[in-house]
Amino acid sequence: MIGVLVLTGFLGSGKTTLLRHVLRQPEFSRTAVIINEFGNVGLDHDLVEASTDSLVELQTGCLCCKMRGDLVETLADMLERRDRGAVAPFTRVVIETSGLADPAPIVHTLMTDAGIAGRLALSGVITTVDAVNGLSTLAREQTSVKQVALADRLVLTKSDLAGTAELLDRLAKLNVSAPVAVADRGRIDARVFDIGGAGRVPHEHLHSAHDEDVQTYAIIREEPIHAVTLTLFLETLAEHCGADLLRLKGIVNIMESPQRPAVIHGVQHVFHPPEWLARWPSQDQRSRIVVITRRVPQRWVEALLAALDAEVADVSPTVACAKAR
Amino acid sequence: MREISDLARELLAQSLAAWALSGRVCAQSNGAILVCCKGMEIRIEAAAPGVPFRWMLSVDGRKRGALSLPAVLRQVRAALDPGYAMSRVRIAALPPVQQ
Repeated sequence: MIGVLVLTGFLGSGKTTLLRHVLRQPEFSRTAVIINEFGNVGLDHDLVEASTDSLVELQTGCLCCKMRGDLVETLADMLERRDRGAVAPFTRVVIETSGLADPAPIVHTLMTDAGIAGRLALSGVITTVDAVNGLSTLAREQTSVKQVALADRLVLTKSDLAGTAELLDRLAKLNVSAPVAVADRGRIDARVFDIGGAGRVPHEHLHSAHDEDVQTYAIIREEPIHAVTLTLFLETLAEHCGADLLRLKGIVNIMESPQRPAVIHGVQHVFHPPEWLARWPSQDQRSRIVVITRRVPQRWVEALLAALDAEVADVSPTVACAKAR
Repeated sequence: MREISDLARELLAQSLAAWALSGRVCAQSNGAILVCCKGMEIRIEAAAPGVPFRWMLSVDGRKRGALSLPAVLRQVRAALDPGYAMSRVRIAALPPVQQ
């Protein structure tokens, strides 16, 4: 399976500079790159030094709006060329979005398109934020807020030019679960790009935060959750929140699998299938679900989970048998 | 542990707030839950034994069964917020991969 990383960030936030640096690292030598530029004259692809065979520029449209079909076709074409040896056998793909792109539709495409499923899978979203203009951009541009909210990792750029304390505070409020790395003039430890799989278990943050419409909070449960409850919970969130459920990540103690927690990830109404870890990553065996939403109250999410689990317990044969004994 | 009817009532009250609807949710003496909103009355109670539902809803006098709390929520929202288009959950083909 070839992982696909989405590199996003608002206009001028340093995506291309960062990518150019990372691609110089030996471990990234087998990386295919797709650059989406908005406008008639593309430039970013000239700035990225990668094998021309494995670099594709998608121009004159934004991937999030009208070019999702083009993205799938491009990925399929890259795979086909890889299979027949026309390009080096790349082992990862990086998609650099345009600065104006909402990453959610791109992530949905990568998660659900039947044409690429089985060969490619999303590994995560990295968002660059510019220390000079980041705060004002976040105040002005909802797309920028969404780019931050959907990130698995945040990379702070241009931090040598401006103070970062206020911006870091703002980022923590928008996306409490994404670690923040700081780039030094575009240079960064390439391991920042190593995300995906069990490595995406959310960090524990017990406090909630809010920033105007976007809220981040953690739902913590001491008691294990029935597997059916989890299914109903995610279904109901999707039904009633839709696009307002920006992001959900969690590690869940499932009653039927006490030794192997489930890791869940979702973007809006699209979820990855649960990933079962071999063991708990720490002593903490509580369920912890980090939710990033737009105007979805924490109390509703908590009430939903509590009510669903009580109803499932009420009809569960295991519980019924235990009561009978 | 709290009774399911208490948890269902709390869920319905929080749902009105989440859907930006003003109204009230209260318990009735027979254990039913009454939702009053937008001039409508929705009564929710445990279904009688032997019927293939867990809950019965009465929306302005018209009775319907519901298999579960998600089905109750779906029916309540459809009655109170008819313009809302629910999203269906979609499951990706694979878990995220480690790079």
